[in-house]
Amino acid sequence: MRNIGLIIMREFKERVYKKSFIITTLLMPLLLALLSVAPTLIMIYGKGEAKSISVIDNSGIIADRLESDEDVEFVTIPNGDLQEELKKSLESGNFGLLYIGEDIVENPNNIQLYTNSSSSMLIEETITSQIEDIIETERLKAYNIENLKAILEEISVDINLSTFRNDDEESTASSSAMSSLVGIVLGFVLYFFLVIYGSIVMQSIIEEKSSRILEVLVSTVRPFDMMMGKILGVASVAATQIIIWGVLIVAMSAFMLPAIMPDEMMANIEAVQSGADVTAMAASGVDIEVVTAMASVMDTGYIAKIVGLLLVFMVGGFLLYAAMYAAVGASVDEAQDAQQLTTPITIPIILAFIILTMVMNDPNSPLVVWCSMIPFTSPIVMMGRIPSGIPTWEIVLSIILLYLTFIFMVWVAGKIYRVGIFMHGKKPSFKDLYKWMKY
Amino acid sequence: MSNIITAKHITKRFTAHTALDDVSVEIPAGSVYGLLGPNGAGKTTLIRVINRITIPDQGEVLFEGKPITEQDIYRIGYLPEERGLYKKMKVGEHAVFLARLKGLSRHEALVRLKDWFVRFGIEDWWNKKVEDLSKGMAQKVQFIVTVLHTPKLLIFDEPFSGFDPINANLLKQEILRLRDQGATVIFSTHNMSSVEEICDHITLINKSKNILSGRVDDIRRSLGNNIFSVQFYGENELLNQGNSAYEIIDMQKDAITDLVTAKIHIEKDSDVRPVISMLNNAVELRSFTEIIPSMNDIFIRAVNGNLK
Repeated sequence: MRNIGLIIMREFKERVYKKSFIITTLLMPLLLALLSVAPTLIMIYGKGEAKSISVIDNSGIIADRLESDEDVEFVTIPNGDLQEELKKSLESGNFGLLYIGEDIVENPNNIQLYTNSSSSMLIEETITSQIEDIIETERLKAYNIENLKAILEEISVDINLSTFRNDDEESTASSSAMSSLVGIVLGFVLYFFLVIYGSIVMQSIIEEKSSRILEVLVSTVRPFDMMMGKILGVASVAATQIIIWGVLIVAMSAFMLPAIMPDEMMANIEAVQSGADVTAMAASGVDIEVVTAMASVMDTGYIAKIVGLLLVFMVGGFLLYAAMYAAVGASVDEAQDAQQLTTPITIPIILAFIILTMVMNDPNSPLVVWCSMIPFTSPIVMMGRIPSGIPTWEIVLSIILLYLTFIFMVWVAGKIYRVGIFMHGKKPSFKDLYKWMKY
Repeated sequence: MSNIITAKHITKRFTAHTALDDVSVEIPAGSVYGLLGPNGAGKTTLIRVINRITIPDQGEVLFEGKPITEQDIYRIGYLPEERGLYKKMKVGEHAVFLARLKGLSRHEALVRLKDWFVRFGIEDWWNKKVEDLSKGMAQKVQFIVTVLHTPKLLIFDEPFSGFDPINANLLKQEILRLRDQGATVIFSTHNMSSVEEICDHITLINKSKNILSGRVDDIRRSLGNNIFSVQFYGENELLNQGNSAYEIIDMQKDAITDLVTAKIHIEKDSDVRPVISMLNNAVELRSFTEIIPSMNDIFIRAVNGNLK
């Protein structure tokens, strides 16, 4: 035990005191924050000049009603000739020319856009939606109904569905969109965590094996202790990184979100958090979907529960996968040789990742439920399901299965490791690994 | 003298070949024990079996008469043939790490390391990175760490590889010093002159089998061919007088000094003294020495299967 501790300490020091670790750990949340505000920043600063489009309107009803905005500027050319104006447009270097046929109301397809450079979805969208509106209004006019506009506004309806969980003692408002988003993010985090830190374990064992440090250590340290020390050492590095990120992110959501949130919204969120009647609020025109989502994000109890479970599954999943990666690392001499042997490790991870996207559609479909129980996919898939609220027994069962499998896997990996670290030269096959297991 | 290690009928098979085939060795406490043999003979496997790194298929290893246990490992210092260090660590820090793995406290490790670093004249390496050391420098550090916890049994696998003659000499002196302080040293090597210089006992392993074991002196003497070197002043022919008792193999006379050097063969089991007195009467005898085969010869003969 003392030796495992020494090895963990060494591993931890070597990795955490590295400049690259400190930089990535501190920069990552900053980068994430930047990424989340990037769309807004781009909206503000990234605006190009409005594209100018010449319009030849033979129907005489469209051009006047086209509204220029910050993206497109419409320039009407009265009585223009198509061929001549096309030439002019090319010379002037504007975006292009829009030709509207005489019978546009009856034949809405009689409209063409000629562009001088490549067209863009956004501009086409602006043009068609504007013209569709104009034509619809024109057609409605033909029916001669009085106060049509007022009538239409009166019938228009917009529903906010307030979802409640029926099985909890106190039914709290929950947002399924938010839970699946949180679920996907958590699944993502786990996926990257397993793949990145798992292969760090493998890489560093390969390195130690080829530099023959293992030979020096093996006389005093049991191979099993060496392997566990390595796995736990890397795990402690990962935990440090995640804790730092967690603290930074919680700090950001606790202090920054309220600061940038409009006061009215904040009041609503607090109301929801303190258990106000959501239905009443919905009736008063509050967008309850957004408010409940924000309320749950800023609810520290909820975050603590999620983070706690995340850690449980992360530890279990990591130990399971790291043991497999360690076995592969001990078996080969060079990183290139590891490719073939890592396939059975990467397949379940990728599978879990694919199934994670299905959680969004239905967190309780049979495939998803099964995969959240099977240990190799369970950490990622279960993490995707948890935010949408699932029975406790399912979580407990999944954890028990995961931890039993990890104990078994560590035992198997230990056997392969013990033999593998002395094997040099030959690239082992799965058959060899099986033999080593039985040594 | 009791044996610190007794390995009985060790057999170890790997999938493709047998690495050790019924090998038994007895290593007397307080000796310097050489483990010889060509490449791939099974030396390293035997060392690993003694070390409890590899578990033999058959046979057992006794440490001071009792089956070896995990705790005994802390009383063994092992320097493997292929040895590495963490490149990114500092020399001193690394040495402390390895010493602590062997059960020393941090403080004890520091005190002893300082002492050894001074003895080897490498104090100023303490804060160097391991990757900046040359192979020989790294070897020194590894040697120090192996012996630092004053184990009763030291096992060196090819300790001289990578050392220049000066450092190899330093190493030999240290090995003898450690023996004088009460440690038993086992080392495997291809360097036969070092065997003659420092080994008390040897075992020669060839093709997974123990083909020769014993005290170095006994082995050399018993494998001698009863050939003697005779140096004298006088006429060459004079040597021929006692022809019946010995056979002249070779004879040369130095043109300047007139000293004659001859090699004679005396029948096995016959007495040497009459030959000496006979020669003493015939010529002005300067020296009479038995030519004992070098370990190098013995090694080659043993491996080629013509020991007798």
